[in-house]
Amino acid sequence: MARYILKRILTGIIALFVLAAVTFFLVRLIPGSPFQSAATSSSVVEAVEREYGLDRPLFEQFLSYMGKLLRGNFGISYSNPGVSVTEIIWRTWPVTASLGTAALVVSLLAGTGLGTLLAVSKSRGIQRIISGGAMLASGIPGFALAVILLLVFSVRLNWFPSSGLSSPLHYVLPVTALSLYPAAVITRLTGNALRAELQKEYVLFARAKGLGETRTLWTHAMKHACRPVLGYIGPASAFLLTGSFVVESIFTIPGIGREFVNSITGRDYTLILGLTVFMGTVVIVVNLIADLLGAWLDPEMRRAYRES
Amino acid sequence: MSILDVQNLRVRYHEGKADGDVLKGVSFSVEKGETVGIIGESGSGKSTAMLAVMGLLDAKARVLSDHILVGGGKPCPGKNIAMVFQDSLNCLNPSVKIGRQVAETVRARRKCSRKEAALRTEELLDTVGIRSPKLRMEQYPFELSGGMRQRVVIAIALACEPQIILADEPTTALDAAVQAQIILLLKRIVRKTDTSLLLVSHDPGVTAALCSRVYVMRKGQMVESGTAEDVFYFPKEEYTKRLLGDRIGKGYKAGEEPCGDPLVCVRNVTKEYDTKEGIYDISLDIGEGETVAIAGESGSGKTTLARVITGLLEADAGHLYYRGQELDGSLRKTLGRGKFQMVFQDPYGSLNPVLTAGQALDESLRPIVRGEPALRRRKVEAMLALVGLSAKDAGKYPSEFSGGERQRIGLARALIAKPDLLVCDEALSALDTRTREQILELLKTVREKERLSCLFISHDLHAVRRISSRVGVMYGGRLAELGRTKDICSDPWHPYTRLLLDAVPKADPVRAGRFRGAVAEERGTEKRGIEKEGRGCPFAANCTYAMKCCAEEMPGQYSFGDRQVSCFLYSEKHSGRRAKGYTMTSQI
Amino acid sequence: MAKAIWKYIRKDRQAAAGCVILGAWIFLAVLVPFFGPYSYTDQNAAIQNQGISILHWFGTDKFGRDIFARVWYGAGISLVIGLASALINGCIGAAYGAVSGYAGKRTDLILMRAADIIASVPSMLYVILITLVLGAGVVSMILGLCISGWIETARIARGEILHLKESDFALAARLGGASPFRILIRHLLPNASGPILVNVVFLIPQAVFTEAFLSFLGVGLAAPAASLGTIIREARTQMLLYPSQMICPLVVLCVMLLGLNMLGSALERRFGRPEGGG
Repeated sequence: MARYILKRILTGIIALFVLAAVTFFLVRLIPGSPFQSAATSSSVVEAVEREYGLDRPLFEQFLSYMGKLLRGNFGISYSNPGVSVTEIIWRTWPVTASLGTAALVVSLLAGTGLGTLLAVSKSRGIQRIISGGAMLASGIPGFALAVILLLVFSVRLNWFPSSGLSSPLHYVLPVTALSLYPAAVITRLTGNALRAELQKEYVLFARAKGLGETRTLWTHAMKHACRPVLGYIGPASAFLLTGSFVVESIFTIPGIGREFVNSITGRDYTLILGLTVFMGTVVIVVNLIADLLGAWLDPEMRRAYRES
Repeated sequence: MSILDVQNLRVRYHEGKADGDVLKGVSFSVEKGETVGIIGESGSGKSTAMLAVMGLLDAKARVLSDHILVGGGKPCPGKNIAMVFQDSLNCLNPSVKIGRQVAETVRARRKCSRKEAALRTEELLDTVGIRSPKLRMEQYPFELSGGMRQRVVIAIALACEPQIILADEPTTALDAAVQAQIILLLKRIVRKTDTSLLLVSHDPGVTAALCSRVYVMRKGQMVESGTAEDVFYFPKEEYTKRLLGDRIGKGYKAGEEPCGDPLVCVRNVTKEYDTKEGIYDISLDIGEGETVAIAGESGSGKTTLARVITGLLEADAGHLYYRGQELDGSLRKTLGRGKFQMVFQDPYGSLNPVLTAGQALDESLRPIVRGEPALRRRKVEAMLALVGLSAKDAGKYPSEFSGGERQRIGLARALIAKPDLLVCDEALSALDTRTREQILELLKTVREKERLSCLFISHDLHAVRRISSRVGVMYGGRLAELGRTKDICSDPWHPYTRLLLDAVPKADPVRAGRFRGAVAEERGTEKRGIEKEGRGCPFAANCTYAMKCCAEEMPGQYSFGDRQVSCFLYSEKHSGRRAKGYTMTSQI
Repeated sequence: MAKAIWKYIRKDRQAAAGCVILGAWIFLAVLVPFFGPYSYTDQNAAIQNQGISILHWFGTDKFGRDIFARVWYGAGISLVIGLASALINGCIGAAYGAVSGYAGKRTDLILMRAADIIASVPSMLYVILITLVLGAGVVSMILGLCISGWIETARIARGEILHLKESDFALAARLGGASPFRILIRHLLPNASGPILVNVVFLIPQAVFTEAFLSFLGVGLAAPAASLGTIIREARTQMLLYPSQMICPLVVLCVMLLGLNMLGSALERRFGRPEGGG
């Protein structure tokens, strides 16, 4: 087990390095200077670029950037001199994290619940409604839903606030918009996995030995059915993070996603770089945790690594 | 009063279709403490009947009956009736510990505390002959051997404290030696707990060994019933006779004697695998036109040996010779591929589902006959005719053929490349009795016609007897015994060969009643301090004749005439000096 | 294979519905821009921000452009991006996975580790960076989608090949002396085509979605090229005043994604591997 963890962490670190390097060079390749605008003369641009070290060879810039990264220093925002990227992350990340966690929890609860219902329900009506609903929901992009929710529930009906994230009520619309798609995917995953599991012989045997339906479901089938769901947590968190780009813009939430979109339109090199590396790190870490959890749930794997 | 009484049971799938009836009104009953068998081919509806009695068929099936009574009341799974399934790997939950799977059954039945349930679990595991139950309770199903798992399944059935246990093919997935142990266990349990047992099996031998009364089932109907003696000695129905046919009354006919120079020599070949199934220090000759068989249970390394000989795997050590030349990579290249061909066990997995029979044969012919599509087509058709199929079949896909027909195609695919050596890896095991018979006959005629050398791998000594002139018995990756089939089958020298021969129950109630299956079962390996992974003889832990040296040293190959045996009983060093001119006989 | 798919689609209602939606989509995306009375770029100050009418089925935008024409032009662009990227990803993924699975051992380990590393970053970030570097456009969008889009296909292909490689018929082919390439092409890939195909079909809606998402953010396609995402983005500034300008392309987008998903999951039921079954 320890070897597996070590191996996964090592892969994660390499992935982080590759991510940082690729992002760094790509960002440097973006045409145009962040300080270029009609008003400033080229000599001023050059002076400022020198100030930020942009005139040095690319590789040297890269080394110094990586050196700073290792110390947790993401650099200073170009368009907002004086504010460090780390500060921006510190300010915006908790907002996005709380929104994302809420959405993840909601989609997990709704998804596994509906998926279980889908698998165990005997009524074809319920099955059709759930699987049809999941199908429909997975076809609605989060931003479309966000816009429609905003139009209907805060503009027309005025039930929910349209911007900010200051009260639980503020969470309702953005979380719904974010979690619909992952919830639909989890419903399908749970439903399919559980249905497949319920057809296995050990479930039949559990019934033959006199266990009730609920016990059979919880102690036997569920354990296997939740594995694909666990595997989806990584992709889901990546999805939620990118989903926050638009949802935060639409609902004017001061999170990391909105900051990222602004940094792109503002061509803020260090901010794009810093936020990309940071978000990549988050996704890699979440993936790592989900993988380790999945491995821990699988006794066969646990044993294989204990022995090796 | 009967413990189990089933009257006029009908099961129907696909409401409204004419041929939807799986069971067409079957009735059977079991008395208290009695063991009753139901035999029939696969697909005759035996398992469906058992699940219908348990009330476990899925919602698509419609179950009708006059009555199903267990001890006068309704059947209630886990209370008055319990079931043992065929495949213990699938019916135990792979990610739940053994102890918990038994204990939850105990608790569902008795409504007792966790502690009591744990104690009872220990007791039950002990009853079914599992040593150190405390240790086993903490393990997962995949950590146990097949026989051990089946014991756990039986323990779970016992935990239900039922009046009757339904056992659906309880030994089919097991090797002969383990099967014998499980049969003995079931016998003991019936005697000790006075539980009734209803045994469903396709194997008349197992049924004869256990049951006092027998029902014969065919296509959803009972065609014959009576005491075991009546049914086995005086079968009335053609179907019953056929079912019993291959087991009684047919003697063996030795295959061709070895002749000429050996085609393939295997010398001290070792191939270690990271899992199991490795082979160690194997030496074997296969003569021109000779059929050599390899017998042994699954995991004994038979398949690995076959793959090393055919070149699918590279040996770690040792040498292979082909007509006297060393068979290495370069010789294999100059010979061209296709000189060694295989027929596989699984008729469903051995043919590529996207190629028609004709295309599959053509693929095999391609490296030999280049170009000339017309010639190739003629050859393909001729080969199909040889294995008893028609030219029309060339255009069909594997899914359109039956298991036996697929095996014929597999044989044709191997033969069309004009091989020198044909390796049949359990080629008959997946087939039912009648088809097995046909393919065996086909194999014999083809072998004689083409003067093929053949390596016939099987766990079934009956088939081995009928086709091979010499046989090697493998155990734990080593050759336990090698010699003429006739000699080995009638007079085994190695204790394992003996066990393998004895462990197959005969379809003969009187003889099977005395069936003991010379097994060192309950003796427990830990107690005697013989570790399985030791340096010694792999069979030592299960051997009734084991000596001290068996656990510590590897026995060598001791040759006596055309017979070789790898057991210390035959070594001069360990069993005493022999006088000159002494003729070795069986020591067991 | 093609025959089997066709037979299945005719039998399965969900697959049929998905096909009808997809067909209608292609039909309109070709027909409307070429034969419609309005061009997607023609501005007309006289008819700004009109509602839904007989002349302009989806109304007009703030420049007086006909939204119906724009939506179907955009739908065509979305489809091209979706199909092209799915096709490229499918080919790269199948080849990469097949080679990795068939080679096995170290090659497999290295190739799959590399894929893991590429896949550990959300693909959306790649697409954003690529469009920033190469400038907004269809080509850079497709390129961005192809950086990590093939990895799932590769994993599926690898799993299938790994499993099929050990099958008896593959061994028989090796004994018969077939070359590794021939074994792969003739014996292994045809049998792996079902799950691969299912995955590729699912890549199409994913790509369409990503494109719309990014265009909506303003990093996808640049004006005057229109895709569904850019049309929705343009309408956003006045969504409170003229919601229909936004709703129409949104509905078209959702129906398209739904159709593709329906087709995909119908195919998955028939040709895919059961969940968790490896």
